[in-house]
Amino acid sequence: MFIWAWLIFIFPLIGFVLSWSIGRYRKMLGGVIASFMVGLSLLASYETFLYVNSLGHPLYQSYQWFYNIKIGVYVDHITLIMVLMVSLVSTIIHLFTMYYMKGDPGRHVFFAETSLFTAGMLGLVVSSNLVVFFLFWELVGLCSYLLIGFWFFKPNATAAAKKAFIVTRVGDLLFLIGMAVIYNALVGYPGLGGNSPLSIPFLINNASSIASYMGATNLGIAAVLLLGGAAGKSSQFPLHVWIPDAMEGPTPVSALIHAATMVTAGVYLVARTYNIFFYSAPFAMYSVAIIGAFTALFAGTLGIVVNDLKRILAYSTISQLGYMMAAIGLAPVIGAAGISFGMFHLVIHAMFKALLFLTAGAILISLMDLRDVRQMGGLWRKMPVTITLFLIGSIALAAIPPTSGFYSKDTIISASWLYFSHYGSFQAFLPWLFLSLGALLTVLYTFRMFFLVAVGKPRSHLAEHAKEAPIIALIPLFILAFFSLFGGYLFQVPFYNYLATGVTLPSIPAYIEDIPLIYVAIGFLVALYLYGTSRWKSIDLSRNFFYNLLKWKYYMDVLYTRIIAERIILPVSAAFSTVENSYNSGVDRTGSGALSFGTLLRRMQDGVVENYFIVLIIGISIVFLLVELFKVVI
Amino acid sequence: MIVNSFITELALNTGLSNLNYLYPLFLLGIVAFVILAIGIRIENPRLFASITAGALAIVFFWLYFLPGNPNLVMSGTTIYNRYGTYFAMIMILASLLVVFPAARRLSKKADIFYAILLFVNIGIIIASFSYNILVMFVSFEAVSIGTYIMAAFGKEKRHLEASLKYFFTSTIATAFTAFGASFFYISTGTFDLTAGLKVSSFQSMDIALLFLAVGFGFKMAIFPMHQWAIDTYDGAENSIAAYLSTGSKILAFVVILKIFLVGFSGDFEVVFYLFTILAIASMTYGNIAALSQDNLKRILAYSSVAQVGYLILVLAQVSYVGNTSSHAVTLAVATGMYYSVVYIFMKGGAFLTMNIVKKDKVEISDVTGLFRKSPAVAVSFSILLLALAGIPVTGGFFAKYNLFLALITGQLWWLAVIAILNSAISVFYYFRVILYMFKDPVGETDFNLSTSVRIPVIATAFITVGLGVAFQMVYLLMSVAPGLFG
Repeated sequence: MFIWAWLIFIFPLIGFVLSWSIGRYRKMLGGVIASFMVGLSLLASYETFLYVNSLGHPLYQSYQWFYNIKIGVYVDHITLIMVLMVSLVSTIIHLFTMYYMKGDPGRHVFFAETSLFTAGMLGLVVSSNLVVFFLFWELVGLCSYLLIGFWFFKPNATAAAKKAFIVTRVGDLLFLIGMAVIYNALVGYPGLGGNSPLSIPFLINNASSIASYMGATNLGIAAVLLLGGAAGKSSQFPLHVWIPDAMEGPTPVSALIHAATMVTAGVYLVARTYNIFFYSAPFAMYSVAIIGAFTALFAGTLGIVVNDLKRILAYSTISQLGYMMAAIGLAPVIGAAGISFGMFHLVIHAMFKALLFLTAGAILISLMDLRDVRQMGGLWRKMPVTITLFLIGSIALAAIPPTSGFYSKDTIISASWLYFSHYGSFQAFLPWLFLSLGALLTVLYTFRMFFLVAVGKPRSHLAEHAKEAPIIALIPLFILAFFSLFGGYLFQVPFYNYLATGVTLPSIPAYIEDIPLIYVAIGFLVALYLYGTSRWKSIDLSRNFFYNLLKWKYYMDVLYTRIIAERIILPVSAAFSTVENSYNSGVDRTGSGALSFGTLLRRMQDGVVENYFIVLIIGISIVFLLVELFKVVI
Repeated sequence: MIVNSFITELALNTGLSNLNYLYPLFLLGIVAFVILAIGIRIENPRLFASITAGALAIVFFWLYFLPGNPNLVMSGTTIYNRYGTYFAMIMILASLLVVFPAARRLSKKADIFYAILLFVNIGIIIASFSYNILVMFVSFEAVSIGTYIMAAFGKEKRHLEASLKYFFTSTIATAFTAFGASFFYISTGTFDLTAGLKVSSFQSMDIALLFLAVGFGFKMAIFPMHQWAIDTYDGAENSIAAYLSTGSKILAFVVILKIFLVGFSGDFEVVFYLFTILAIASMTYGNIAALSQDNLKRILAYSSVAQVGYLILVLAQVSYVGNTSSHAVTLAVATGMYYSVVYIFMKGGAFLTMNIVKKDKVEISDVTGLFRKSPAVAVSFSILLLALAGIPVTGGFFAKYNLFLALITGQLWWLAVIAILNSAISVFYYFRVILYMFKDPVGETDFNLSTSVRIPVIATAFITVGLGVAFQMVYLLMSVAPGLFG
């Protein structure tokens, strides 16, 4: 048994217990312990990485849990990338958080919860069975809920936590149904051979024979249900509404959970069960591609009108997650390279997005949590190091060459052109259209944000008095900045080949390849023209139809709360509760009847021994007569 | 050397081959007499408790390490196999559970109490291995007489009253047993249960069955032979009530399993009807009568009547399926074994918890505010009650779950439904107690929270949860369970 693979998620779990129990008495130790334990799991991840590489094949260890569900770890190359990324980013964010939360009275709880979250996330990544996967999936959902609502005295935060929980619950339900469909179909499958029907290695290694056993369409339905779960967690359209609200939580939480790790769990689910999608009917893969691509564009349009710094980053997260999803969905043409492209963008995105969020956290601390970008400005001069780091994150997000965002994202856009040129139909054209227009929007909202924050004159009292964060707190961010700048150049091709064999960069006509670059240039110039100066103040869009449409987020929140929740679910639940009430009163009456019967029985127990014998003789005679009666009758 | 050859010779002359199986019994007897001898001079309950616990622990491991393959001892009236060993061991655990808690309330004549506890354990070990009605009867009486005396220990009159009620009713039960045994002999011509005689045509066999059911059902407190138990558990000292409701009750269960599933293997139809009716009556009676009780010890007493109802469902299931080598039967017997050990800890722990209240008559309102005073004890007691109610994670849940699973495997759907409905009823009164514990106290409450009171409660709660975590034990027991049938 290779213990390191298990320790990956056991270390933070211990950290959860320790930082909670010890942190109660020594507040500062809570953060130290949590960071240390997460650091240990980075070490464990690295040990596992070396071991699995020397092994030459995926590591699979499992033990019978109950019935035909096995608990275990399955570590292949995708898993290794994920555990390394999650534990590294989590360590860095934990280190930064010690600065960010230094005055908070409940910080030991905070660190315990982030530690538990890291355990859940790493457990999810290594688990070998979809049931265990789902349990960890719920655990990270719970931690997300707890941490969004960490400042529970803010009404917005509690409302956002509830919203996040309920919306992801819709996705979880779909995931659960998908698992049930697979289990039900495979429980009598002759090729099972001692495996659990929901074992991940079994599913992905035998996907083609499973598809012929179940029927490609049925498997496709199951796959789309899994995709529904992934969309809930990774906040893809139409379940994207929760992430912007989740920004009410502390900024390190937004960085850790809602940018770098948890939201990528959905993408990881699709990447891990990729073979199921691959061998099922084509509609399954196409829905991955189209949902991802559409989300990339859709969230980008929303990002250009939001004024809250963290919400801009939130929409950009949704949009980038769409790119990852779309990359995997291109697999019918480019094969397993889709996973490579998607996962590379996932890792790079985790780096620059964590960087952006943490610098945003440093900005928000010095601005006393003022989040409206219109009231910032001129911060570059006030806090040069932070804003330089922020700039590095921004250019990586905007995919300006040669930052790593360029390498990871433009490959996906190019691959989507290959997809179109292979099929040549209108549906196949949509992913490229969405993704490349998304690139334009990305640049627009990124530089709108950057210019508003960093250049010009301070537009509020708080912005005038902003101060640099202590340099020691920013040290961990330099690691992230390094990967954001050079990660793509250094690791792109080795990374692709590590996840799938024989990956080549998509070769497409140069004029197509340049379109995203042209978009970048256009977007940059427009942002510079409007927001690099103070021209944006003179634009009044408040009566513009499209502006209002975007401002109201396409009225989707209205649809969900006013129409679906208030008009449909509430009346139905009221009808149910009427039925339930009458049922309850029936139960109550039965209960009170049983109680009075019990009082009657108690009277038999009068404490007189002679009467006991009478009860005995009468009772046993009745029993015996009944026995004889049954013997004769039946 | 000389002694050894003497014993061997004695063994040969009296049919006592395989004498090494009896050494643990000799040890218990010798230690009992040693305690009596020391007791002339010294009156130190804790010393006697330690000696007793030591002897019981030694015997516990000794039994485990005795060769497990079936061996006939004492002219074939006793069969030593893993099945009997398991029950003997868990009943020794039940004794060990009360050894130290009992020391608290024994100021005088503690030597007699502990000597009797050891003698009782000798009876228990013989009874759990024997397959002969006469040997069972004698060893069972040894246990009964010992427990009469134990029940009388204590400082107050109510303890004496409890003991007397127990004594009177039990003598009647003994008469029934003796009658039943003689009818069994008349019908079969032997006292041996494994003779496997199929004599279902004899009407006297039915009478034997009924009389034996009454006689042993008394000790197990099956409805309608339960009424002594309510008064005795309520009246006796807490730790002795704990012992009566676990150790001697499980012994009765062991004996009933053997007599009715091995001795009456030709009469399974009658056994099925009898125990189905008794089980349903016990469960329903125990649960419903406990609903309106306010006396906490009586609630536990009624709940133990209900628990017995669940236990004897095993007999109903086995006699219904009939084929003693089938999977359904093995599962049912293994579940009975698992249920027994869980039952010992959850019920014994619940009775021992009563020690926290400084009164003899424990009302349900007396535990109000326990959570404020001692969260650990309150949570542990809640766990024990949840286990009795059959709530997941605790051993009680998996015991019930496997029991219902066994019933469903044996195609007894309707019986499983009745049992599940009964569990649902029982949740009411267990939760009522828990609710009181977590309420805020109205006035000043005074609990006895000394270490010797707290430790058994917390330990039993831990073990109950541990048994739940280790529920796969049932599958291990399935390899031992066929030992019931010889």
